[in-house]
Amino acid sequence: MARHENRPETAREAAAGRASIAVRPEFRQGANAGAKEKMFEIENVTVSYDGQPAVKDISLDIFKNEVTALIGPSGCGKSTLIRCLNRMNDLILGAEVSGRLLYHGQDLYGPKVDPVQVRKMIGMVFQKPNPFPKSIFDNAAFGPRVLRMKDIEERVEKALRCAVLWDEVKDRLDQNAYEMSGGQQQRLCIARALAVDPDVILMDEPCSALDPIATGKIEDLMVTLKEEFSIVIVTHNMQQAARVSDRTAFLMVELDATERSRWGRLVEYDETEKIFTNPADSRTEDYVSGKVG
Amino acid sequence: MQARDAIGASGAIGTSPPRSLEAPSRRYGEKAIQGLLALCAIVSVATTTAIVVSLLIPTLSFFSEVPVGDFLFGTDWAPTFAPASFGVLPVVVGTLSTTLWGMLVAVPVGLLSAIYLSEYARPGVRRVVKPVIEVLAGIPTVAIGIFALIALSPAIGKVLPFMVKVPPFSAGVAGIAIGLMIVPIIASISDDAMRAVPGGLREAAYALGATRMKVATRVVFPAAISGVVASVVLATSRAIGETMVVLLAAGASPNLSLDPGSSVQTMTAFIGTTATGDIATGTITYDTIFAVGTLLFAMTLVMNVVAIRLVRRYREVYE
Ligand SMILES: Nc1ncnc2c1ncn2[C@@H]1O[C@H](COP(=O)(O)OP(=O)(O)O)[C@@H](O)[C@H]1O
Ligand SMILES: [Mg+2]
Repeated sequence: MARHENRPETAREAAAGRASIAVRPEFRQGANAGAKEKMFEIENVTVSYDGQPAVKDISLDIFKNEVTALIGPSGCGKSTLIRCLNRMNDLILGAEVSGRLLYHGQDLYGPKVDPVQVRKMIGMVFQKPNPFPKSIFDNAAFGPRVLRMKDIEERVEKALRCAVLWDEVKDRLDQNAYEMSGGQQQRLCIARALAVDPDVILMDEPCSALDPIATGKIEDLMVTLKEEFSIVIVTHNMQQAARVSDRTAFLMVELDATERSRWGRLVEYDETEKIFTNPADSRTEDYVSGKVG
Repeated sequence: MQARDAIGASGAIGTSPPRSLEAPSRRYGEKAIQGLLALCAIVSVATTTAIVVSLLIPTLSFFSEVPVGDFLFGTDWAPTFAPASFGVLPVVVGTLSTTLWGMLVAVPVGLLSAIYLSEYARPGVRRVVKPVIEVLAGIPTVAIGIFALIALSPAIGKVLPFMVKVPPFSAGVAGIAIGLMIVPIIASISDDAMRAVPGGLREAAYALGATRMKVATRVVFPAAISGVVASVVLATSRAIGETMVVLLAAGASPNLSLDPGSSVQTMTAFIGTTATGDIATGTITYDTIFAVGTLLFAMTLVMNVVAIRLVRRYREVYE
């Protein structure tokens, strides 16, 4: 791998037969971002597993109270990128993050930063609903209890209401979470994340294991939640990105000249409407119109 | 596979003779294997039955001479003396004592090792440490007994004199040696159970700002509880049934006391010293051995049943 690393960027991309991607400021943020408050500033971030880069040189800004979608074919590094934002990659042996990642202007990977503190503020919902094998109440109360918060019952109720789950479960809070449907389980996972009052919620393909009705409920939920929280969502469902997000980043797999190693690259980042109606890059257009991917 | 068959069948309509639905052969080989497998299963069922029956017959003969109440609640154990006395409590308490002191060592050490192996150790460390722990399970118990007698007992006696009142014998020291011996059972099985907990549950907890310790104690440990309890029950059975270590290191004087410093005789040690091969069938001493054996068997059985009930009730089932 190091051998490829040493070669100049442009040569490799020319060899791969692709135009290099210019990083213009409006590209990093997308249009109409001037007045918005930045939540994350991602600068030249590369993530490697065991020395093999999985995403390369990603730069983009993510804004407060918006839903930001990451789309792209599978294996392009969407999960890898989103897991950098709350330092979940720290838990994977051999994962290495380079570049700069600011959260409200602070370096997320600074030497004094405690990943546990980061994750208190930046919650996450995963692809497969993963409630704890405990009661519905204990699931929602898990975070507040671990963080020794007060008023557990109020927090649980508020979180379940926020996740539009309260009316369905208020009479069976002591039932095991696994007795719920998949969609309810996923909303419980969202409630569990909300119960600790996070600032940002990361969602990695939260609907891919759900049916269309459950998916619709979660999409509605995201739109209401962004009033209070900021949301970053990974999805391979382009209609979903179009429906719920304000801004969309499109990533793609890039091969090296020998086609032996591959990594994800940011192709285009802009307001969702622009990405889906008038993308600047032809590869984005091909992808969102369903020609490839 | 199904689809291909369907296509094959539809393509074959009218062109080839209808296929037979009968088996091409009588499959004798398969039947023979099935028989063999059943036979193997029957061997262990038969063995268990045979053991129970051979325990029960002399036991019944014992109770025709000694009232059950005198046996179970009597506090004087001198079955080989004249006049003989058959109060089993001193040896039962001896067993409880060594088991208790053993579990007091084995449960915390075993569980903390399991948590370390499963949640903290890097793969490289784990690959070395786990087999080393497991090797301890393979050391012959007679070696552990000797170790307890000639190394552990003097050392502990020097530091904590109350632990060894009649050197070199001590229920506490024998218990500690048994405890060290069964640490691998608890550590290894609990580690397996904890590692089987889906990674998604750990991720969920980490993403809520839980520390590694909280993830281990609040998520992984409870989710693995049935495996953990199983390991503790198995280890307790081993401790109750352990003979060689107590024979060598616990002394041989029946003693109705849980004092770790005193010398005790356990149920197994009684059987071990008494069943020497030159006792005649049908004598009361002979029957006593079986009565104690039956009680030992019953105690282990009850413990297993209670543990299974408890686990059913409190376990967390993940899908
Ligand atoms: N834990 C890991 N260890 C090694 N390689 C990984 C790991 N997770 C992901 N990868 C690799 O990183 C690349 C990007 O994966 P991922 O981020 O999961 O993509 P996506 O979410 O877009 O499908 C893939 O080639 C994948 O094989
Ligand atoms: Mg993914």
